[in-house]
This record gives sequence, structure tokens and C-alpha cells, in this order.
Amino acid sequence: MLRESSHRNGTIDSLNIHGAVNPDSDSGVPDGGLLTAFAEAAVRQTDALPGLRERIASVLGAQQLVDAAGVVANFQRMVRIADGCGIPLDDFTKEASEDWREDLGLHEFASAANTA
Amino acid sequence: MTTTAAPFTYADSAWSIPDRIREAHIRSWDRLATPGEWWSGAERVSIAAESRRASALVDGLPDPGPGPTELPEAAVFAVHKLIGDLPGVTLEWYEETINAEGMSDARYIELMGVLVHVWSVDEFHRALGLELEPLPDPNPGEPTRRRPEGLADHGSWPSTIAAEDVAESEADIYAGMSRAPNVLAALSLHPDSVRWLNDLFEAHYLSWEDMGDMDTRVRALTRPQLELMASRVSALNECFY
Repeated sequence: MLRESSHRNGTIDSLNIHGAVNPDSDSGVPDGGLLTAFAEAAVRQTDALPGLRERIASVLGAQQLVDAAGVVANFQRMVRIADGCGIPLDDFTKEASEDWREDLGLHEFASAANTA
Repeated sequence: MTTTAAPFTYADSAWSIPDRIREAHIRSWDRLATPGEWWSGAERVSIAAESRRASALVDGLPDPGPGPTELPEAAVFAVHKLIGDLPGVTLEWYEETINAEGMSDARYIELMGVLVHVWSVDEFHRALGLELEPLPDPNPGEPTRRRPEGLADHGSWPSTIAAEDVAESEADIYAGMSRAPNVLAALSLHPDSVRWLNDLFEAHYLSWEDMGDMDTRVRALTRPQLELMASRVSALNECFY
């Protein structure tokens, strides 16, 4: 979905998919580093969270911050459903992601054993 | 702590919370308090309370205390496992859990439905530095104990319902999709949990219809920004799916 949306958004040339997994990689998505830092701070509830909130609100806007909190809330839920039910990959996801799952090291994740 | 006051006013929030989110959170608390198919209202609120205890344990915060009624030991353990040790969830653990005293596959899925949606609302609050909403008082009534029609093995651990096998009474759960994503079908053993998922998914992220439309911008963040964050949250949880 990230690759497809970046393609449609006109940013596919600068997209580095490793930025979604590795915090040291620049994804190429505008303000992606700030947003992924917020995601990590929110998921791990670190001391960096208050400052990152303020930074997103001032750099991107208050509604962008609320959107970012919504994404965290949404996917904290979705990953638990996926891993708590051992769901298989959807066919369209399997086909679209075969070439980069290995590259990103997703097969090393513990939940890979649960997802056929 | 529970309350009967109007929930989710966001009167003290530094950030303007859109009506779509506030209203979905209010509906979430209504759903939480209402008896389900396999758990009473009091048990559902206790599952929510246990999720807060699990989060507090992970974050090193004081124990907020139990809910209004006792839960089976395996249910308490499942809540803590799903919140605090997701990479440790395995098929063997799932089978032990659903076969434990006081549990079943249907009770596990409804427990998961309550847990993940309440926790998601709480995570929204924590991400924005907002106080957690007090849990609602449970509504009286008995669970209906009804398994939906059309359940079969489609590769997930629990039985699920394929889009083509959905009964008329549950026809809304896949929102007209001819093929439901596995993560949506995962909860179909408890159809109200799928409805809850659809509601919060649209409020917190995008509607399923918006998911298929890459060209229209419906949020303040761009689609690549949303997708990047979604991928990062999944990676932080070591979620292969």
C-alpha cells in the first residue's frame, strides 16, 4: 500500500521502503522521519513523546497530529488481531510483497511463523 | 473506575478532536457496556479494565485495579499476553487458551474484540497525552450465546466466515466487499466485533472504500504518510501480516 500510494502521490522515485522498518533509513516520504519517530514514541511510550507531539503540531499542524495518533491507535489494534488470530496473508498482499519481504527481514519476525 | 457521565467530551484537550472520532469512541463505550454473545456486560468491562492493568504493567505505571467482576484465569492471561507479549503468541498458546476452563474459540474472539478496540481508544488518548476515559458501567443482561452461520476453516486459527457465506443477518459486516481481508474476517466468529472494527477503522484511519481510492486525500496527512506510519507501527510490533 505504501508503494502504491507513493506511486500515485508522485513520490515513488524517492521512496525507500526500508524507512518503514529501520528508523535510521530515510523513507523519502515528506516528514516521514518525524512521523515514524512519533509512532515509535507512542508505541513504546517513551519520554520523547510530548516533544514529538509539539513538533508535529508546529511543523505539520494540529490535525496532522490527530491523524498520526489515529494511525497509531488503528494499527496497534490491527496487529493484535492479525497476530492473535494467526491469519494468513491475503493473496493480493502475498503477490505484491514477495519481492521485498525477504529484503526487509520480515521473515525474521516472530509472527512470521504464524502467518502462512 | 466506572462512570455514567457523558463520555468523550474532550473539553480539556489541547487538540481539536474531529466529531467522527469522538462519536466512534462514544459508540465504542456503548458497545463495551452491552452484553455480547459470550460475555456479560460486566465481564466485557472487566476485560477492558484488565487491558488497562496490562498496559500499566508494561509502562511501569500504578495498577488501575480490576473491573466489576472476576474473569477466568485464562482470559486474564490472554489479555496480558496480547498487550504485553504479542511476539510470544503462537498457535500452541492459542489452542491452550481456547481449551482452558471458562474459555472457547468464541469467547476468545469476543474477548479479543473487546480488548483491541478499548485498547485502541486508549492508545489514541495516550498518543495525544489525554486522560483515559473512565470505563462505563455495565448494562444488565445475559450473553446470547449464538454462533453465526457460515463458519469454516479459511486458514486463520479460529473459524471465519467468507464473504460469500455471510448470512443475511450479518450481511453488513463486510460492507459489500466480495472478498474480505483476512484481518477483518478474523473476528467474524463474533460479528459485532467486526462491526466495531469497521467503525473504529474508519474513524481512526480510513473507510474500506477510501482504502481502495489512492487518489483522493481524505485526511490532513497524505496517503504515503499514513501508510508509512502504519508500516512502522506494524514493524515495531514485529507483525508479519
